[in-house]
Amino acid sequence: MSDDGGLWLLAAGPVGATALYWALYRYYRNTDKSHGFEHETKVEAKPVTGAESDTKVDTIEGTQQTRIDGDNVGAYRARVQRITDESS
Amino acid sequence: MSDFKTPPPLPPVTGPGSPQDVPPLPGSLPIDPATLPDAIREELEAPDPVAIDTAAAELSDGLNRCPKCGSTDIRHKLGTDLLVCLYCRNEWDGARVEELFGFGEGIDQLKGTVIASGARDIAADAAVLMTFKCTGCGAEVTVNTESAMTARCHWCRHVFGVNEQVANGAVPDAVLPFHIKKDDAVARIRQFVDKRRLFALKEFKEQFTPENVVGVYLPYMIVDGNASADVAGKGEIKTREYTRGTDNNKKTYYDADVYQLQRHVDFTVDDLPLESSTERGNLDVRVNTNNIINTILPFDTKNAVKWNASYLSGFTSEKRNSNVEHLHPRLEDQLLSIARAQVQASVRRYDRGVRWEQEKLDVHGTRWVSMYLPVWLYSYHQPGAKGGMLHYIAVNGRTGETMGSVPVQQWKLLLAALTVGTILETIAIAILAGSS
Ligand SMILES: [Zn+2]
Ligand SMILES: [Zn+2]
Repeated sequence: MSDDGGLWLLAAGPVGATALYWALYRYYRNTDKSHGFEHETKVEAKPVTGAESDTKVDTIEGTQQTRIDGDNVGAYRARVQRITDESS
Repeated sequence: MSDFKTPPPLPPVTGPGSPQDVPPLPGSLPIDPATLPDAIREELEAPDPVAIDTAAAELSDGLNRCPKCGSTDIRHKLGTDLLVCLYCRNEWDGARVEELFGFGEGIDQLKGTVIASGARDIAADAAVLMTFKCTGCGAEVTVNTESAMTARCHWCRHVFGVNEQVANGAVPDAVLPFHIKKDDAVARIRQFVDKRRLFALKEFKEQFTPENVVGVYLPYMIVDGNASADVAGKGEIKTREYTRGTDNNKKTYYDADVYQLQRHVDFTVDDLPLESSTERGNLDVRVNTNNIINTILPFDTKNAVKWNASYLSGFTSEKRNSNVEHLHPRLEDQLLSIARAQVQASVRRYDRGVRWEQEKLDVHGTRWVSMYLPVWLYSYHQPGAKGGMLHYIAVNGRTGETMGSVPVQQWKLLLAALTVGTILETIAIAILAGSS
């Protein structure tokens, strides 16, 4: 075995205990629930435009990250820099 | 070993596990129940509340005049949107505001801010108490619009209701009558809690009396909007995946192309509900459980009827205290979230994800209607620091959707977590010992 061979297994106890604690806590308290207005509201949208002007700006080689840094494609409620007409 | 003594810190209100997070799909749990001890698994796997149809209505008398005989003894026929006269059995329907006022039409043509009369700004100096002179006996009858819209004359038992859209903002444009009966709500609340008994606070279980549920009309603004949004950011597409290193030290590496993206979407929303009570609209899970009430949205607001205080007889209500202007930031926030959800499908090919960096919203037009929505509420006050916490179990008065917050017995929950953690740790040590 190599030096770190399987030592990560020792995290199983604390990680498992914490995960179970939070899963049960949320099951009882439901602090993570809210109205899913993004999908439960009647929305009529025209086709999304802009895809035709996607441009390659960089290449990355040899990263170990499996996702883009700061991936927020599914985090609809995480606000990013707001551009207003006055500032643009 | 897993020997922590204090519970893990609460997640921040904006991070994962808060209402700011996109909620998980119904019925999904981050842990596979099959891996848990029997008692916990059985509780988690028990069926969810189902619709229970029971015929029992205990409403107090109404008011208003029956259009046929003129009697004031009128009540809302529970389970329907009808009002019924108890003298002549005449039944009549409240006019649906959707057709009456053309709400729901021409949303894509909306320009500016259209406000229905019941959604107008609240007059700052308007009194909460309204006094009526009883036509039966001449006595003065007072209605407290903070919590009720009807009151009975002590002397002749006539019932009065606030039907005029006075400037204090108490009377909305429309009301969505209760369809779910009290017995049904009680049964749903009981089922909800029965599924959460193992780790529930002892005092909560002892005092649990779902019959104490109250029907409350809560104030909402129902908003139609016509908007456009732009988002810009970076997306990555994986071009190569390879491993380096030898047997035990293998690491996976990726190459990727980075793209600059922007998207534009024009859209309309129909009947977006916003809490118009400042208190209910505060969804900070560290200090309250209002997110529970928020969760039972949406309502079938298309069926709302024109305001008539008779529908509120026997129920309490909460007065609106937010104006359109106060609610605008929240509306814009939700429109941006909707836009972000709308553009997601157009960036599917970026398999390493997208980082949106900028967003822009143009609200072309909005229409605001003030509405009372029916909610059955069971509440439990958990004593504690800073006034403790008020836990709600809420039942949507139309759909029966039920959600709640059940206070937990911390030591029991910690003990269960530590026990499971210890078992996992023992297994881990056994594996390590066996492999070395
Ligand atoms: Zn009649
Ligand atoms: Zn009287």
